[in-house]
Amino acid sequence: MYRLRRWGPAILLISPSLLALGLFVYGFLGWNIRVSLSDWTGLRPSYGNVGLENYVRLADDGRFINSVNNVVVFTIVFVGGTLLVGFGLAYLLERPIRGDGFFRAVFLFPMAISLIAVGIIWRWLLNNSTGGQQTGLNRLFSSMGLEFLVNDWFKASQPFAVMAVALAAGWALSGYIMALFLAGMRGVSEDLREAARVDGASERRVFWHVVRPMLLGVLMSAVVILIHISFKTFDLIFAMDPQGRRIEMPAIYMWFTTFDGFNFNRGAAIATLLMVGVSLVIVPYIVYSMRVERRQ
Amino acid sequence: MEPVGIRLENVTKRFKGDVLAVDNVNLDIEPGEFMVLVGPSGCGKSTLLRVIAGLEEVSGGRVYLGDEDVTTKLPQHRDVAMVFQSYALYPRMSVRRNMGFGLRMRRTEKAERKRRVEEVADTLGLEHLLERRPGALSGGQRQRVAMGRAIVREPKVFLLDEPLSNLDAKLRVTMRAQLSLLHQRLGITTVYVTHDQVEAMTLGQRVAVLKDGVLQQVDTPTNLFRHPVNLFVAAFIGSPSMNFVQAQVANGSVSFADVTIPLPDDSPLAGSDRQVVLGVRPTGFSISTGNGLPTIKAVPDVVEDLGDERYIHFDIDAPRVDTEATRAAVEAQSIEDILLLPEDKARFTVRLPMDTPVTAGQPVTLAVNPERLHFFDPDTGASL
Amino acid sequence: MSTQTETPRDLRIRSRWSPHITTIRYIALFALVCLFLIPVYVLLVTSMKDPSQVSPRQMWELPQSLSLDTFRTVWPRLENGLQNSLVMAVPASIISSFLGAANGFVLSKWRFPGADIVFPLMLFGMFIPYQSIIIPLRQVLADANLTNLLGLALVHIIYGLPITTLIFRSYFASISDEIIDASQVDGAGLLRSFAFVALPIALPAFAVSIIWQFTQAWNDFLFGLVVVTRATDWPATVALNNVAGSQVVPYHEAMAAAVLATIPTLIVYILMGRFFMRGLMAGALKG
Repeated sequence: MYRLRRWGPAILLISPSLLALGLFVYGFLGWNIRVSLSDWTGLRPSYGNVGLENYVRLADDGRFINSVNNVVVFTIVFVGGTLLVGFGLAYLLERPIRGDGFFRAVFLFPMAISLIAVGIIWRWLLNNSTGGQQTGLNRLFSSMGLEFLVNDWFKASQPFAVMAVALAAGWALSGYIMALFLAGMRGVSEDLREAARVDGASERRVFWHVVRPMLLGVLMSAVVILIHISFKTFDLIFAMDPQGRRIEMPAIYMWFTTFDGFNFNRGAAIATLLMVGVSLVIVPYIVYSMRVERRQ
Repeated sequence: MEPVGIRLENVTKRFKGDVLAVDNVNLDIEPGEFMVLVGPSGCGKSTLLRVIAGLEEVSGGRVYLGDEDVTTKLPQHRDVAMVFQSYALYPRMSVRRNMGFGLRMRRTEKAERKRRVEEVADTLGLEHLLERRPGALSGGQRQRVAMGRAIVREPKVFLLDEPLSNLDAKLRVTMRAQLSLLHQRLGITTVYVTHDQVEAMTLGQRVAVLKDGVLQQVDTPTNLFRHPVNLFVAAFIGSPSMNFVQAQVANGSVSFADVTIPLPDDSPLAGSDRQVVLGVRPTGFSISTGNGLPTIKAVPDVVEDLGDERYIHFDIDAPRVDTEATRAAVEAQSIEDILLLPEDKARFTVRLPMDTPVTAGQPVTLAVNPERLHFFDPDTGASL
Repeated sequence: MSTQTETPRDLRIRSRWSPHITTIRYIALFALVCLFLIPVYVLLVTSMKDPSQVSPRQMWELPQSLSLDTFRTVWPRLENGLQNSLVMAVPASIISSFLGAANGFVLSKWRFPGADIVFPLMLFGMFIPYQSIIIPLRQVLADANLTNLLGLALVHIIYGLPITTLIFRSYFASISDEIIDASQVDGAGLLRSFAFVALPIALPAFAVSIIWQFTQAWNDFLFGLVVVTRATDWPATVALNNVAGSQVVPYHEAMAAAVLATIPTLIVYILMGRFFMRGLMAGALKG
């Protein structure tokens, strides 16, 4: 009785949200898997069971393999680069400096812009037109006498094309990573730093011996977040070059397969694989975060 | 309103992970009584208070307020008021609204609410603070508002969870006396939780000592001090703490190191021959004047002057008493927690008047009052 | 007060190298600021040039005169989308935040048995790739005749719940449990404790949640693309992509359109960056 009286209203209050999320997340995930096992290829839903056929076909689908290759290269370059830049920015801003609010605001503001807009800007910056039509960064490099830097960007050959996309994505997200690292660095108590200073450590050694070991958790968060963002990359490519096979990745291939080619079953199979990939990093991360929280 | 009693019958609270916070506690609190629950942190005293408030459900047993079984009632349906350690004032409400909140929740009429809030604010000297927010108050003022919020409700029972522990030491002593006065005036049944045994002794009409969720002893402060039922209560109550030493009882006297103290004839141990833990309070000694009392020779290594009295510390050439109970009394996990310099001898602390001529390093002869000796079983810790 | 008014000596404790290190830090930071602002420079310079001066050759040159002509050209093509986004994102973020506040309150201060399982399950919804629910989503919304702005708002409310719940849960976790205990002893049940005690102190969390959700809903593209079928219901991002997402559009028009579609979130960022940043941090869970 006590339990019902005490917890009943609480469960009632959140049940609308739970029901909505239950259906829209877990219900739809299940439904999507169901579609991936079906023969639905037209406009009308059809759920004839074909087993794993759609997945097997994907293994032979050169365009799909290509998109997976792209996302792998993209993830490595994007995650590595963004981490490096983000960490560097945070390191420069770690100790108070006049105007740090301004610097932080500048590095972080791309996060407030839609990735469609980011894609449009960078499509023009990374344009590979030549001669009189040369524009964007290429033109800037030429006019500065840095011709050796001129290249084809996202129209370049594989695997270099996705690196151009990583450049744009890194521009958008390194401020985020900076903010994560900064929060971690600021979270190290001043007492600890002072203890190290009194023990005779220089600022650089305080950072190395006291602050750095405490950034492991932040690093892990940053890696997980970047990887899952990287797997989901869609808007950016859609705005930069939606038809470009050299930068096509599974998230966008799924869209074309499904809503352009009406191969709903195959699109669902790609989506399921995408889901599995994201879950591989996200589920352990959530479990770990919850465990850390419970320990506190 | 007639005060009501509180009765706890076999109350047990088990938390997730099988932590037994309260273990089969039976406690009868008289109507109008001021009962203090005391014990080291983690002894279950706060949990027990929260069980009475209804903030925690019991895992077993029953809770009665007066004759009413409230075991399964929600806190909002038990007529209790509570003062929290952090005061728990609602940050976005003025003092007036804070104090009136309980009445508002119970749908007391607005005019009546205003009258009662202002009346209580008057008695507590809060009338000029009524429109302020808690953030704009000092610690002592917040504490009074928290008290006022509880009083306004005119509840059946007051529950106070370490209400003074966030005040600084001087203010705490003043507030202690004020609390006693308030209880005399209102006559409401009060349960007061504290880890500070001085607060417990000064405030409680009766004091319940808890350890590891188990009720050790419920008694008046004087009885607790004079007749502790076990080693834990003896070690926990009193400051500085009781001195303990491993000793041998034989032939009607007790001996340790090179000291032998004859037992009073009426002592129940007089005829026995056994190992005991001997306890003497720091006040059980005086400077020997050759009046026939048994004596101890001591060489104090530390002398602490407190202005009107002094504490001397010295080693006794006998093994130290280190049991789970004595450690628990000072909230230490292991003996290393309480010793900066590792030693394995027993150490005594003795309180002497300020005019006693003692110097560190100079031997003194101390008389021991045999009436003030306590004996405990070395294995069970029970008083003998 | 000292009566002597000599020039104050520098009494700061610092190492011999610290002035040099500070200089190096400033140089590095300014260089990075310049790099980060390159796209902004191009964006602004191009969109504010007189259309007659726009040519690839002059992309990096400052405009000889400022002109809003390009904005005037693209405005009619974006106006409807901007309006749609505003009408959709504002209520969606507010409703999602209120639901998140209730959830967060329950999950931090009224933790029913099982709450620790429910919460991570909710969180998971924040990280899923939306591709993996989009086929059923479109089907359900089509069947319910919700392939319009209303449907889009609904989608943003629901998929916003994990993060808004997380924001409020963390916020309420930081306020003392004793306040909620006190309100219960004072006679308030769940709803009154939430409404009278928790909500009034949750304003900062509302700012974080609403701002974050607004930005998310405004910047979303995938849902807009898939959920909405009629062009008159397209949100700003979809409209922007249609205006600017093809090679035939002159690039100064693409840039001007990007500026227009970005202005609302940028204003929010500039005015309330602090709250935006906290939303950002919330998304990273703890670690």
